[in-house]
Amino acid sequence: MAQTMPDLFVYPLRGVLERLPEHVGVTLEEIRIRERRPLEIGYAGRSAFVRPDGTLTGDYRSAYAPGREECRALLERATNHSLYAVEEELRRGYITVSGGHRVGLAGRVILDRGAVAHLRDIAGFNVRIARARTDCAAAVLPGILDPRARTIRHTLIVSPPQQGKTTLLRDLVRSISSGEWHHPAASDWSGRKVGVVDERSEIAACEAGVPTFDLGPRTDVLDACPKAEGIMMLVRSMSPEVVAVDEIGRPEDAAALHEALHAGVRVLATAHASGLDDVAARPVLAGLAESGVFGAYVLLSRSAGKVEHRVVTPEHALREIKSRPQPAIRSPDVRQQEAGSV
Amino acid sequence: MMQFAGALLVLFAGTMIGYLQASRFAARPRQIRQLMHALQRLETEIGYGQTPLPDALARLAGIVPAPVSGLFAAIAASFADPARASGTLRDNWERAMTDGWGRTAMRTPERDAMVRLGATLGGSGREDQIKHVRLAMHQLQAEEASAREEQQRYEKMSRSLGVLGALLVVILML
Repeated sequence: MAQTMPDLFVYPLRGVLERLPEHVGVTLEEIRIRERRPLEIGYAGRSAFVRPDGTLTGDYRSAYAPGREECRALLERATNHSLYAVEEELRRGYITVSGGHRVGLAGRVILDRGAVAHLRDIAGFNVRIARARTDCAAAVLPGILDPRARTIRHTLIVSPPQQGKTTLLRDLVRSISSGEWHHPAASDWSGRKVGVVDERSEIAACEAGVPTFDLGPRTDVLDACPKAEGIMMLVRSMSPEVVAVDEIGRPEDAAALHEALHAGVRVLATAHASGLDDVAARPVLAGLAESGVFGAYVLLSRSAGKVEHRVVTPEHALREIKSRPQPAIRSPDVRQQEAGSV
Repeated sequence: MMQFAGALLVLFAGTMIGYLQASRFAARPRQIRQLMHALQRLETEIGYGQTPLPDALARLAGIVPAPVSGLFAAIAASFADPARASGTLRDNWERAMTDGWGRTAMRTPERDAMVRLGATLGGSGREDQIKHVRLAMHQLQAEEASAREEQQRYEKMSRSLGVLGALLVVILML
């Protein structure tokens, strides 16, 4: 059973999860709870149903089915007994709970003049376990350094969901902030001031304003703040040298990134995309890529439970984007600057 | 001599019982008012502060005097208690109200209003929550009016009744 398991579940569901095998517990990624339907978990890139005795099975008919009371208690705990305090989060479909774990929600949507106003009768939960994986940035960081400015290049981390974007971003922030550059030429550089705009409270998992994940000694976190405004607020008020944001993609994000660039701040961002061809297909990201904002791209992918990454220079990225719609990402002429496991 | 001492004791006890009864009549409307004050604060915490309930209830316990504060302190403490692994807010709330109610001078109608509020608290959006809190406050207001009426009618009476009753016993004894 993972130590990082959020304290959300009540017996008997809690008992079932506590009986999960050890190797599953430590690699647990998702717990999917659907009211009166089979309990499913995702671990080490795979998924399985769970029997009442905690063993895994592929057969959903023999799986444990959480009842109404367990789901009610789960919702109550996820919302800290106060649904009214998380209305904004409900509109977006997820709540971030203490420890940085994100609980995705599905239920009946209440509309107000055509827009989503509220979520009720919530019967589907996806608990995503957040983990700090210290030193997963060690292999990536040397590839994105800018030796002349003694800092990092503007970097975009690209990956599909569930591949460890946020985990990598979190450790990059920690490394940059504490000055662990993992590069011989950078051995005498000090840490940089890092500003984090943590819109989903996933990077830092702040509790009462204080990060619960280790983000290094020189990091300021703007918790639950919209990215575009947050970037500008940080630049104006906290004089960061590096700004880190998660999951950019809206036009206002791009505008704010441009602003930050001209303020002399290095940007570290992540985006949902399966590869560079997806980046090209998303107008905002493509615009950013074509205007040459980013100095490095980190692509994450997963094979056999291991997260692989490669760092791509903007010239290659641009070439790949221009040569769309071929499946550019896997074409052999892309020079891999670096490949390894994170 | 012994008889005189006994009569004095009976007289003293009767008077005290009367005073105690009277003070309960006086305390009930006062405590209901304190409860309403607390709910008013709760409404603000929900409406403007969007404070999560565990924090809001702990704050309420700090602003009202005992014994009413004990009710809120008990619920706030139950959130922090890991032993109540399966306790929902509704259960904890109801338990705190039933256990702690005896320490107050308030009666069943007020308790029922509070228990009804506990069943809905934390389970819906902001506007809905405020409506429920206001509803509970209206009910308490009605109870306060009747409690005040009872106070006027019975407070003095129970005091004199205590003294007179004790006198009667003394006369019968002598």
